[in-house]
Amino acid sequence: MAIPGNNNKRDGLLFSLPFLLIYIIFMLFPLLYGLFISFNKWNILSGANFIGLKNYALLFQDPKFISSLLNTFEFVLLSTPPLLIIGFLMALAINSKSPLKGIMENIYFIPYIFSMTVIATLWAWIFQKDFGIVNHIIKMYGGSEIGWLTNEKFAMHSVVVATVWWTAGFNMILMSAGIKQISKEVYESASIDGASPLRVIFSITIPLLKPTLVLCLILQVIASFNIFGQVYVMTGGGPHGTTRVLVQYIYETGFTYFKMGYSAAMSYVLFLVIMAVSFIQYILIGKNDE
Amino acid sequence: MKKLSIFLISLLLVSTSIFAQGNNEQASDSEGPIEITFWSLFTGGDGEFFNAMIDEFNNSQDEVFMKNDTVKFDNYYTKLTTALAANNAPDMVLVHRGNMLTYVQNNQFLALDDYVSEQDLADFVKAPLDACEFDNKLYSIPLDVHPLVMYYNKDVLKAAGCSTIPSNGDELMAAMKKVNANTDKWALLIDEPYELPRTFISLMGQQDQSVLSSDATKANVNNTSGVKALEYLQNLVNKGYTPSEVDYDSALSLFKIGEGAFYINGVWATGTLEQSSDIDLGVMPLPAMLDQQAAWSNSHTFAIPSSKNVDEEKVKAAVKFMMWATENGDMWAKAGHIPTRKSVYEKQEFKSLPFRSDYSSASESALDTPRTAAWSQVYNAINENIQLAVRKNLDPKSTMEKLEEEINNIIASY
Repeated sequence: MAIPGNNNKRDGLLFSLPFLLIYIIFMLFPLLYGLFISFNKWNILSGANFIGLKNYALLFQDPKFISSLLNTFEFVLLSTPPLLIIGFLMALAINSKSPLKGIMENIYFIPYIFSMTVIATLWAWIFQKDFGIVNHIIKMYGGSEIGWLTNEKFAMHSVVVATVWWTAGFNMILMSAGIKQISKEVYESASIDGASPLRVIFSITIPLLKPTLVLCLILQVIASFNIFGQVYVMTGGGPHGTTRVLVQYIYETGFTYFKMGYSAAMSYVLFLVIMAVSFIQYILIGKNDE
Repeated sequence: MKKLSIFLISLLLVSTSIFAQGNNEQASDSEGPIEITFWSLFTGGDGEFFNAMIDEFNNSQDEVFMKNDTVKFDNYYTKLTTALAANNAPDMVLVHRGNMLTYVQNNQFLALDDYVSEQDLADFVKAPLDACEFDNKLYSIPLDVHPLVMYYNKDVLKAAGCSTIPSNGDELMAAMKKVNANTDKWALLIDEPYELPRTFISLMGQQDQSVLSSDATKANVNNTSGVKALEYLQNLVNKGYTPSEVDYDSALSLFKIGEGAFYINGVWATGTLEQSSDIDLGVMPLPAMLDQQAAWSNSHTFAIPSSKNVDEEKVKAAVKFMMWATENGDMWAKAGHIPTRKSVYEKQEFKSLPFRSDYSSASESALDTPRTAAWSQVYNAINENIQLAVRKNLDPKSTMEKLEEEINNIIASY
């Protein structure tokens, strides 16, 4: 990674020093310090006690940890497919010949620029049981109201809907950039050969878009594993803990229960889970590229 | 050259914004009033009344200047904890009585005994002041008490044929039965995520029990009192008096638009109910639904972080504000909270506020938060188990067995 025309390592280091310093102070050090904390019993306000791997041993006997991890998996499995598929469909739409594509691109992307709190509060009111617009419409057509956020059957799905609405636009941008890189000639020859639009999507767009799709999938899975804000604002982890996700439990354990060591241990387990899942994805999908 | 100067300017901007916070701290000069930096968590209606108090105090004298910084409630304790851990807390903070213990146990607050006069202390209502004492030392000054109370809609009660306001459990049951039979309104609104567990804790207190043993080392729910308290709540739903699956906003809004006869919430709802609702409102202390009066309660209190070098002058100035704010508790009572100074109850300004005098006696039967560092986690266990049991109508006895085991495991983990 030398500068073109300059093989001096010292110059390279000097130039990257400002970034490296910030990276070490604000990323690497907290990361390693977190690992150290996870071997301690520490309430943040007074001295830490070294207890070795005890926090990790306790984790797997903690039903709340298990259920939070499972809820997180549920969210990942529920949210990833629609986020990718809808993002892809939106990317196709804005790369079509439709005269509305400029407007569509803006409309699809606008939700992404709002902060999480805004989105979650908005959807919490849309899904509100007694006064929300969704139930209002259902009642207009003679149905009875549904506890979108207060019924354990629907709560997680409602959070997924809000999340898809919020972030699908980001996947759209990534995929749209990928689609634009596919050479026009391929499409032209396909149309000369008389390929149907569906055939073009499945035989040209998707295969040639694969690197971008893999990137989106991995980024999306990582983002979904880190779900916290939407759940915290929309359901608070309720009803009776059925939507509590792992990052929320990590937060509560650290800052409400003052168990920083235990909280750090859970963070590291999540870190390992995400790393393992990303690795498996990379191996499985990436390997037939060779 | 141009690129270099852009780089330098942006570097300057970044570094100044990083260190800007540090500079603010040193800005206090020796001339003029002593400036006290202060964190509070009041937003919305509470925030308006609180800021008005701070302004009034700052205008009323020129020795102390209170510099209030409002932090959103969601983040408040996270911010406070990290600031205390980093020795970076302001001169004075607001802390709920229920959250004090961990900070006190870890020597984060200054004991205030030497700074408060006997005469001032004698004017405080005993229970809330005692609640701020740990090992016979006073660690904070209670600004208010905010217990659960019972709101009622006089029009709905009239329509149901109730001529008097119920004053005990039997009368309440009879009134709810009438509302249920004669109107299409809910008899009693209780939100599920907050007021339901708080009502359970209140019902334990009404049987002269706490959810924890008296030394707060064990659960005390797996007994007839726990079963009775849960059965009472399940009964409300089973009889159709109380809706299930109601969130906080729903319960409040339903009561606001006149869809409920009785409504359990904290005193803090008084302000918004009287301002934004047309119903004919009444408020009373939480009645004795079981044996005696008792209600879940909490308190906003003022405390001083004990950083390494406490500035005596600043502590005295902060205590001066604490005494002024509690003496003028009638201003804070506008938000609905119950004042903690006896002299405030005599003030004409307080007496002329509607409703407040009707429920100020609730502070006498207010329950103290159990004194264990495990409380937040214990409370969450109670919350989830009670919600689930009421919603699914689970067997009370086995629910209490499960809850007991969970609580004991939690306490053992601290």
